[in-house]
Amino acid sequence: MNKIFSIAKKELAGLFKSPMAYILLILTISIFNIFFFMIINENREASLRDVFKVMEFLFLFIIPILTMKIFSEEKSTGTMEFLMTTPTTNTAIVLGKYLGSLIFVSLIVGMTIVYYFIIEYFGQPDRWEIFAGYIGVWLEGAFFVSVGMLTSSWTRNQILSAISSYVILFLLYFSISFVKYFEGPVEKFIQYVSTMSHSENFGIGLITIGDIVYYLSGIFICIILTRLSIENRLNS
Amino acid sequence: MVIAANVTKYFGGFLALKDVSFEINKGEIVGCLGQNGAGKTTLMRILTSYLPATSGKVTIGGKDVSKDSLAVRKKIGYLPETPPLYPNMKVHDYLKFSAELKDVPRKNQNKQIDKVLEECNITDISDKTIRVLSKGYRQRVGIAQAIINDPDLLILDEPTSGLDPIQILQVRRLIKSLRHERTVILSTHILSEIEQIAQRVLILRAGKVIVDETLEALLNSNPLLRDRGVDSELLQKKTEIGFRNEGKGFVLTLEEVFVRLHSQGLKEKDE
Repeated sequence: MNKIFSIAKKELAGLFKSPMAYILLILTISIFNIFFFMIINENREASLRDVFKVMEFLFLFIIPILTMKIFSEEKSTGTMEFLMTTPTTNTAIVLGKYLGSLIFVSLIVGMTIVYYFIIEYFGQPDRWEIFAGYIGVWLEGAFFVSVGMLTSSWTRNQILSAISSYVILFLLYFSISFVKYFEGPVEKFIQYVSTMSHSENFGIGLITIGDIVYYLSGIFICIILTRLSIENRLNS
Repeated sequence: MVIAANVTKYFGGFLALKDVSFEINKGEIVGCLGQNGAGKTTLMRILTSYLPATSGKVTIGGKDVSKDSLAVRKKIGYLPETPPLYPNMKVHDYLKFSAELKDVPRKNQNKQIDKVLEECNITDISDKTIRVLSKGYRQRVGIAQAIINDPDLLILDEPTSGLDPIQILQVRRLIKSLRHERTVILSTHILSEIEQIAQRVLILRAGKVIVDETLEALLNSNPLLRDRGVDSELLQKKTEIGFRNEGKGFVLTLEEVFVRLHSQGLKEKDE
């Protein structure tokens, strides 16, 4: 457990020692702020439902940039060999790295809590709906991080890693748009796989076991696949 | 300490190591020698459990490298060919991170870090960011990382590669000072390095061990060297420009032994 925290700490410190973390934080929060004021101004209601949708959509673009270096950089600089020859399990390495990026995404989500206080000051928002919305955004971010970490474990090239993440995340996010062309089990499958079908429920204040299982199982599968991917290094 | 039995490694269809077997006793300093592509790095990676062997078995301190890899990794210190450093980290933070991953007890970590900083003569740069360090310093930080857990077995893959002559001397001196009570496996293609540091030599060619002898035995009694008189004219010239003449006649340098072994291997291959 200590090693997971050591690796997570190193990941976070690494992010904040490069301009990347600050650029991502400032850029993300600035865009969120602009959309927050635009949406509130347009809708004139004490709800963050549409703000959450924008946050989830922007995560599609931001998270692959954050996660592209998780393993790719370790592979290209040779530090992967160091990590994997210390008495640290591969699971601890993967979880530590995941935790580091997850804390960063949580920080971004956490910084937007000020929106709640703003609308609470000016109106009477549905607190449960906002709470559920935040859980949904956080789970979506956590899931996207796990996908980004997985693609980062496939290659030492950070650009390739980011492109692979974009492809997978866009497919997951927009697959719901193609559901009308299919029917039967394929339609149901596409509906289930699409992140939009699950995040929308959180947005309207609905926390269901099915949606939580969807995100947690997605994260779990990506973590397992990442572990397998780093284990299969140079092994073919 | 280290037993390798019939270790074979394939990368797809490419044979990187073939039936490699050897034993290394506790406290021995073994030089693993071979040209680029001979299989040295693959062998080092198998010993450290970074890569699994396709077949064969390696045990370190009685523990199977593939079945009990975590226990094995606790006993070893490893410096890969490229020092595994995080450029944005400070030297002290990097060693602290290494100590945490290598199970150095929390209460001993600072003491151990101070010890390796001193051993590697890098105390003065402990607050510096790795990015700004010279190659020689980076190599020493890499070695400090390798010994932070006070390992029984130290595996160094081409530790002087890419360094300037002064840095090479500094790193060699450091390796010599570290060998007390430790088993050291050193891979290199710089032959004089082996002559200066190692007691025993493993020579790899095309994935096979072609020589496994003590340095003394290799230099003095290898059958390939019985014709040393044949080259007396050449050796005479070499003596004039400073090559060794140890009083018992001409003694070939390890470079010459290696070149001969290699050219004989190529001849056998052609035939």
